[in-house]
Amino acid sequence: MSILEVSNISKRFGKTLAVDDLSFEVRPGEIFGLLGPNGAGKTTSIRMILDIFEPDSGQIHVLDGPMTEEKKNRIGYLPEERGLYQDIPLERCLTYLATLKGMAESTAKSTIAVYLKRFDLYQHRDQKVKELSKGMQQKAQLITTLVHEPELVIIDEPFTSLDPVNTEMVKDLLESKRDEGKAIIMSTHQMNQVEELCDRILLIDHGRRVLYGTLKEIQNHFSSRDVMVTPLENLPETIEGVHEVRKMNGRFRLILKDDAQPNRILKSLINQGVELVEFEIAVPPLNEIFIQVVQKQEEGDQVERTQKEDADE
Amino acid sequence: MSKIWQIIKYEYRRHVFQKKFIISLLSLPLAVVAMVLVALIIAYFATDSTPVGYVDRSGVVRAESVPQGEGSLFEPVIEFQAYQNTDQAQTALDAGEIQAYFLIPENYPGASLDIELFFFEEPGSGIREQFIKYLRENLDTLETIDPIVRDRLQSGSNITITSLDGSRTMNQDQWFMIFTPFVAGLMFFIVVMTSGGYLLQAVVEEKENRTMEIMVTSVSPSQLMTGKIIGNIAVGLTQLFVWLIFGWIALKIGGFFWPVLQDFSLPTNYVLVLFLVLLPSFVMVAAIMSAIGSTMTETREAQQISSLFSLPIMIPYYLASPIMMNPNSILAIALSFFPLTAPVTILVRMAVTVVPLWQIVLNVLILILFAIAAIWFAGRAFRMGMLRYGKKLSIKEVLGKAVE
Repeated sequence: MSILEVSNISKRFGKTLAVDDLSFEVRPGEIFGLLGPNGAGKTTSIRMILDIFEPDSGQIHVLDGPMTEEKKNRIGYLPEERGLYQDIPLERCLTYLATLKGMAESTAKSTIAVYLKRFDLYQHRDQKVKELSKGMQQKAQLITTLVHEPELVIIDEPFTSLDPVNTEMVKDLLESKRDEGKAIIMSTHQMNQVEELCDRILLIDHGRRVLYGTLKEIQNHFSSRDVMVTPLENLPETIEGVHEVRKMNGRFRLILKDDAQPNRILKSLINQGVELVEFEIAVPPLNEIFIQVVQKQEEGDQVERTQKEDADE
Repeated sequence: MSKIWQIIKYEYRRHVFQKKFIISLLSLPLAVVAMVLVALIIAYFATDSTPVGYVDRSGVVRAESVPQGEGSLFEPVIEFQAYQNTDQAQTALDAGEIQAYFLIPENYPGASLDIELFFFEEPGSGIREQFIKYLRENLDTLETIDPIVRDRLQSGSNITITSLDGSRTMNQDQWFMIFTPFVAGLMFFIVVMTSGGYLLQAVVEEKENRTMEIMVTSVSPSQLMTGKIIGNIAVGLTQLFVWLIFGWIALKIGGFFWPVLQDFSLPTNYVLVLFLVLLPSFVMVAAIMSAIGSTMTETREAQQISSLFSLPIMIPYYLASPIMMNPNSILAIALSFFPLTAPVTILVRMAVTVVPLWQIVLNVLILILFAIAAIWFAGRAFRMGMLRYGKKLSIKEVLGKAVE
């Protein structure tokens, strides 16, 4: 069962094809990373999911069917364009927005009080929103996104302007929502957060799907044949099956020969009596995968363009 | 439905319980009270109750003087003193015992009706009226007349004009029939501009605060617009209601001093048309304002555009005298069918002439139709304005979308 099913959607603005035949699904109980370089079509896709724009073609099924007014109450959205009513007290602003998500005023008030305490904003509840710091407003906006217990949460860059303590708190909160079975779509450029939080990711570029799958699958796919090792003392001069040893911050990166297997390397190291603190198969950071894929994409586009230009001539 | 209610409540509360609103609410009645007080104080100090003398050469005034009835604070009863000749009267005037004296010629009231008035400083016009009244009561030629006839003569005439079809009558006590459309129109204008201004602000504010995306993912554009329009109209109506209460209190208090105010009443059908005309106009202007707000991105810019719409509403004021002189002219009829000038024009015409029923019905229908169209247009403009919020959209594309 999926909470969101996007099939072959496209959207064109004038001459730009913002989203190009994009398909993916989001399941309950997962944090789904929606990634891509600036202008890749992430926000446009989100806006189409939320029925702010209509796709030119393709279909979107949200919470079992097309979007309706009633379903708006079951979705929480933290837009890229942050905004709260600046001229009214914080608590009133949050209560108003919560009632617009179908909450009764009394329930909204009591739930908001709980959240305000959790987010350390309770003492600021009577202050006007414009008097709050950027970080506080960001937290307030997160409350608006989550207060009505949405089944589908869509958050665009949830960690900007948050200090490390608050970042951890928000991460915990998102994880607990996932554990409750909510589906969370997170769009961000902070790859470390994606690595820590996301179960599956979708990477889009120029409106097209470039990578799609579980974080593990993708990382495995891009994993090199390297092994990271931290010995208690030192490494032997030569290790069987290892092409090259590079020292990095007290760790060693072993670059394997083509036919070598990490298992055998481990075995031979133990056999040689090396005491190991750490032995891990090097997984490329998502950041690297991202840059690698996007650059490859750019090059591909360049080639395509040159070919096209050549053909035109 | 409950969401619309929440929006109405939010919009209403946001203005009505603000210091700024309460100040503007009270400032008009307070300004009126202050102006009236100043006028009263000036009038009070300008009144002079010093006796006035007269010299009666014709001998028509009876020897014993009849008391003149009750005066008021600003028109005290002046005592009239008889003098044998002008020398005596002049001496009294020089001594300041009297403020002026009248001279009734020998041949009065036969050959001459000219009564002369002598003074150093011109007394108020009330003195002349009082003296004429005094003469009427005291001329000895009137003594023989039947007291009932004499009383009727004293009270004068009150002419009632009835239209040929008998649908309306008019007498001189109904001064407020002329007065009402202008006051109602002015109030309409102020209230419409107030709530229209608020509405404009309420729509632009969504953009300035960047809350548009939050809003449209919580409610539908039509829910949002309906809530905003009703909420802000309610603010305007609150203002109107408070002013009407002040007006009513003023009439009641004023009635103690000027009995003429106690006659204030409006024909029921006139009040009915008043509401039928003003309510749709209200909605129409409000919707136009919110449509403007939807397409603009800054409050100041939006306010400048909206002031253009206030001009046509004022046209019937500039053309008040031609409309009242020729209430059934083509100009007057045309203005009562043009949506923005219709409300005030039809009310002015109804005050001075018999407006055919079909014209009233057509006027109300046009206003209702335009009100609905304006709401539709506002919703459309809002949807377009909301789309323009997306950074990738150009104006051309939005317009293209609207044409589809």
